[in-house]
Amino acid sequence: MVLGLKRKWLLGLLIALPLMLGALLPGKSVAAAQKTYTIGTDVTFAPFEFANQDNKYVGIDLDLIKAIAKTEGFKVEIKPLGFNAAVQALEAKQIDGVIAGMSITPERQQKFLMSDPYYKSGVVMAVAKKGTIKSLKDLRGKRVAVKTGTDSADYANSIKDKYGFSTVTFDDSNNMYQDVITGNSAACFEDQPVMQYGINNGMALKIIGKPAREGSYGFAASKNNRALITKFNAGLKKLRANGQYDKIIERYLGNGSAKSQKTAAGNAQTTDRSFFGLLKANWGTLMSGLEETMVLTVVAIFFATLVGILVGLLGVLPNKFAQGVATTFIYIFRGLPLMVLALFIYTGVPSLIGSKVPAFIAGIVTLTLNEGAYTAAFVKGGIQAVDPGQMEAARSLGLPFGKAMRKVILPQGIKIMIPSFINQFIITLKDTSILSIIGLLELTQTGKIIIARNMEGFKIWTMVALIYLIIITLLTWLSNWVQKKVKA
Amino acid sequence: MSDYRVEMKNVHKSYGDNDVVKGVNLNVANNEVVVMIGASGAGKSTVLRMINGLETVTSGEILIDGEDIAHKGTNINKVREKIGMVFQHFNLFPNMSVMGNVTLAPTELGIASKEEAIKQAKAMLEVVGLTDKADAMPAQLSGGQQQRVAIARALAMHPDIMLFDEPTSALDPEMVGDVLGVMRRLAKQGMTMVIVTHEMGFAKEVADRVVFFDNGTILEQGTPEDIFEHPKEERTKSFLNKVLNA
Repeated sequence: MVLGLKRKWLLGLLIALPLMLGALLPGKSVAAAQKTYTIGTDVTFAPFEFANQDNKYVGIDLDLIKAIAKTEGFKVEIKPLGFNAAVQALEAKQIDGVIAGMSITPERQQKFLMSDPYYKSGVVMAVAKKGTIKSLKDLRGKRVAVKTGTDSADYANSIKDKYGFSTVTFDDSNNMYQDVITGNSAACFEDQPVMQYGINNGMALKIIGKPAREGSYGFAASKNNRALITKFNAGLKKLRANGQYDKIIERYLGNGSAKSQKTAAGNAQTTDRSFFGLLKANWGTLMSGLEETMVLTVVAIFFATLVGILVGLLGVLPNKFAQGVATTFIYIFRGLPLMVLALFIYTGVPSLIGSKVPAFIAGIVTLTLNEGAYTAAFVKGGIQAVDPGQMEAARSLGLPFGKAMRKVILPQGIKIMIPSFINQFIITLKDTSILSIIGLLELTQTGKIIIARNMEGFKIWTMVALIYLIIITLLTWLSNWVQKKVKA
Repeated sequence: MSDYRVEMKNVHKSYGDNDVVKGVNLNVANNEVVVMIGASGAGKSTVLRMINGLETVTSGEILIDGEDIAHKGTNINKVREKIGMVFQHFNLFPNMSVMGNVTLAPTELGIASKEEAIKQAKAMLEVVGLTDKADAMPAQLSGGQQQRVAIARALAMHPDIMLFDEPTSALDPEMVGDVLGVMRRLAKQGMTMVIVTHEMGFAKEVADRVVFFDNGTILEQGTPEDIFEHPKEERTKSFLNKVLNA
């Protein structure tokens, strides 16, 4: 029977889709002359890692790992994922190592292999420059900003009962600093060199008191990567001996003298900080972010529409099993928050299938499933909104279900669905911003990175918002034009 | 070949606990015009819709030209090709023109080429008196015109049997005559027809047999004269009293 065949074909495709995506993924072992390690890092942890004006990642950590790679004869691929995502990716063995100003702690030593210490640091408290907070005691009843998953956050939480403050968590340093500057939080806790660098670069904050919990930064590798740690330790030793290590530190923090600090601060001041100056300076970076956003949007819309239509059609087949599949698909993927789904696919699925999922693929799969579920729901609804008498009339003429659907029901249903499709396209465009959580360098993530470098949150977010609005306006015009064409 | 076009043997239909058709036996001979009457909810529309499988039977058997339509080996689409159906609410396809409506099934099912289908459609539109509306969209037509297009659409498949489910109930009174006129002509040409209607005058005039439904069963059947002039059952009498003296 034609109908039965078609149904099997649809189901087959639905099952084959994830497998096809799986086949696209690179295998576990990549044969190469020089071994390449994928190293995760933070996006906004200057001076250890941050994007410079050319959107190139620089910083103490990056210069260090690159120099070590050179001495020890391996290659590195740097993935600025954000601290939290990087640690999770390492746990899921999506990446080989993390260098992100990571304090060596007993917990981390249990989970990962940690290298020898490469930088001594401590946790400091910073408050607004013009604020009244003078010591930990002044924090009673106040709110304190910390960054997720950091040693500083751990420290703050360990003393919050003693000093009677509460903590609020941020995903990157800049948002945490801004929260203190705007006065929402009374103070923040941050690693000393990072805080110092931020202040040198014009953050209106000041450090209070002495560093606590003095500790050391180390490089982390997954437990099965002993060779990488050995190479790191050997390389570090060599760099320390030949003076290259000191040069790298000096490059970012000066030699500690007041003069070098001033120069650093001065450099920050000389760039054009007006809206248009910043726009001009960051134009290329923003456009590359926009490009990634557009690619994600177009590819995701394509697959989501395909999946949505297939699942929506399954939902209207006169077959209980097909309907069940559609209902379950919609229930699960419409019910899951997009961010949870993205993190699950990017960091959860690899531990299930034992193979890495590239961030771009993970992003597309996430959007396809989520937007596809919404699309399926309105495709199903649109078809069901067509008068049942239409199907009866078509079937009474002897048309098989498939033909009746294609020739009579779908053309009417699609008219009902068009506004929902347009709406979904716009939502998909906006939802790509959530993929910044898995480190995709789309527009939102690009904004975050620029701000991590220049600390101009308000102006850069305004630019990012305007770019989104312009694109959405264009998309809406295009959609309205298409809608008119179809209606005519 | 069976003696009958349609044979219904002890047919039942229930929705959950609600029995709507309770053991109906009904045969329709070739060229016969059967009119089904009765109060709303008596089960006559359900019985009509079972004949082409739009409603499935809960138990019992329906044979079309001797072929069991519920049998696994039966291609219901092939059976439907020879059974035309006209609905109360016309159910024209609003996304295509009158010509599109009438030519869709013959061309899609490979029964006629595009040219043949158009030629035949023109002939069918002539039968229903709407040659000038070939390019109109359904929404531009009156109810009576739409219903006549629906008849032309069904006739374009050259059916052996025509089913009419209250074809004039949704029409303004002045439109009813045109539609009944078309049906009258079909009956005269010898079309096998099963009609559910409340038009008693029409039933009297065209029916070979009138079937009175009550509470999911056939209570009484016979010639128009039997039923309208000498009804045996009390329920039939009271029903006719109500509709004829309304």
